[in-house]
Amino acid sequence: MRSLPLRSILLRFQRLLTRAETVLAGLSLLLLVTLTLTQIIARNLFESGLPMADAITRQLVLYVTFFGAALAADAQRHIRIDVVSAWLSRDWLDRLYRPLHALAGIVCLILTKAAARFWIDEWQYAAPNERWEALFTLILPVGFGLLVLHFLLATTLGPPRRVPR
Amino acid sequence: MITLLVILIVLLATLGLPLFAALGAGGLLATHQAELDPAVLIIELNRLASSPNLTAIPLFTLAGVVLAAGGAPQRLIRLFNALIGWLPGGLAGVALFACAFFTAFSGASGVTILALGGLLFPMLMSVGYPQRFSLGLLTSSGSIGLMFPPSLPVLLYGIVAGVNIDDLFLAGALPGLLLLVMITLYCMVLGVRLKIPRQPFTAEALQQSLREGIWDILLPVGVVWGIFGGFVTVSEASACTAAYVLVLETLIHRSLSLRRQLFPILRETSVLVGSILIILGVAMGLTNLLIDAQIPMHLLAWMRENIDSQLQFLLLLNGVLLIVGAMMDIFSAIVVLVPLILPLALQFGINPVHLGIILLANLEIGYCTPPVGINLFIASQRFQKPILTLFLSTLPFLGIMLVWLAILTYVPQLSTWWK
Repeated sequence: MRSLPLRSILLRFQRLLTRAETVLAGLSLLLLVTLTLTQIIARNLFESGLPMADAITRQLVLYVTFFGAALAADAQRHIRIDVVSAWLSRDWLDRLYRPLHALAGIVCLILTKAAARFWIDEWQYAAPNERWEALFTLILPVGFGLLVLHFLLATTLGPPRRVPR
Repeated sequence: MITLLVILIVLLATLGLPLFAALGAGGLLATHQAELDPAVLIIELNRLASSPNLTAIPLFTLAGVVLAAGGAPQRLIRLFNALIGWLPGGLAGVALFACAFFTAFSGASGVTILALGGLLFPMLMSVGYPQRFSLGLLTSSGSIGLMFPPSLPVLLYGIVAGVNIDDLFLAGALPGLLLLVMITLYCMVLGVRLKIPRQPFTAEALQQSLREGIWDILLPVGVVWGIFGGFVTVSEASACTAAYVLVLETLIHRSLSLRRQLFPILRETSVLVGSILIILGVAMGLTNLLIDAQIPMHLLAWMRENIDSQLQFLLLLNGVLLIVGAMMDIFSAIVVLVPLILPLALQFGINPVHLGIILLANLEIGYCTPPVGINLFIASQRFQKPILTLFLSTLPFLGIMLVWLAILTYVPQLSTWWK
């Protein structure tokens, strides 16, 4: 019974996290559409373009990718090969749920550390006028960090509860 | 030891470890083996942001999700029904064309079967088509249309292989049409043989459905005209398409409420994009390490010893791709296989554009083949039928698709006529 409050706290945190990720992913997508359209209009009507817009749109793809990947982790919608698991019973899938999510979390954790090292280097060696681009790449460690969080939550909370027949 | 670990990662992937995590584990193992900092994987991932065509993937995905939510499937069925429903095998043709059209926009992510299958299955059954034929047609139609613009797998192949995407869309037009014609002919023959009643053609029905669906039909015309007319790049075309469908569904058809449905749509788009592009990002590092370790060169050396001609290579390629297509999702297969296969194909004198068409055709067939043909699983859920029943139902269509694959493979002019 003691674990119930912790579980509900974790579930609430999970809901807040996915809500924030949905908003950030959605805003990134909308900004992507808006910036690309503005570029087309500026180029065709005024024969010029927004400065840095191309670089920003390409970085925004990474934002949509990472926030989307985090949401996919939450919704159990990451692409899997499923050659064996497609034929396993529900009970076996439940037994595998925690170890597989823990493993995915460990891989993401190592990638988070690598991404953090990469970002620190980018920041340190960027020319002052290119620092803004380095700031954008902060999504790499943050994105992998979000994935770690989701896999950690899934490992702790276990498989989604089945609706009794 | 390293072999054991690789086998373990593959085993875990088959048990359901997300593919990006399996590829990430493979990449980490490869960097450890090569005594490199794992940050090299991140450098490759960051290179994603330098691909100018990459923005097209989220934006075309957004367009597909908006169309699905806005009722485009229903409008398309009504329009194609009024246009070709009066022909022999008309309703089957309607299903085929509507699915092909919708798949081109939804990227064969299974949305076609979910969105159109539920509407078309009772319609086909009610006019007298056998259940087995109806199931087979709808299950295999979930991937037909993959070759037409702005198909996501075509975009992804172009990005991974470094091939001009405009060229790929041109190359896919004839092969895509050929498959449509082949299956339509089969449907017509069956319609006549089974004496399926034809519906009368009425100008009023056509006028009504045209009024509803004209803006949907103009969409691919606009994309093709914009890209090949040189007015917009692929990325710009994707932004225009996304904006167009948002205006279409919210202001013209008024089938979407931005206030209630915008964020669910954006969330669905992000999930689809995130689950595909994270694999691409993580796999880029791994495949580069494999190339640095000269794996394709070793494969090439083996092939040079055992394979004498382009014909033999293409036969082997088709065999391997059909097996891969039956086990891997199309997006993962493109990301993982293309960097390995492309150098081999070039050595055997195969045009990368032609290779792309062969690869996509194989993977399209893989959608309907066990053990993990995704169309089988989605159709099984949608129609509440066992996977084996669905597989047996798709056999005639798979037969047609295999003949089509042979034609595409050995008649490269079908893909390169425009050069």
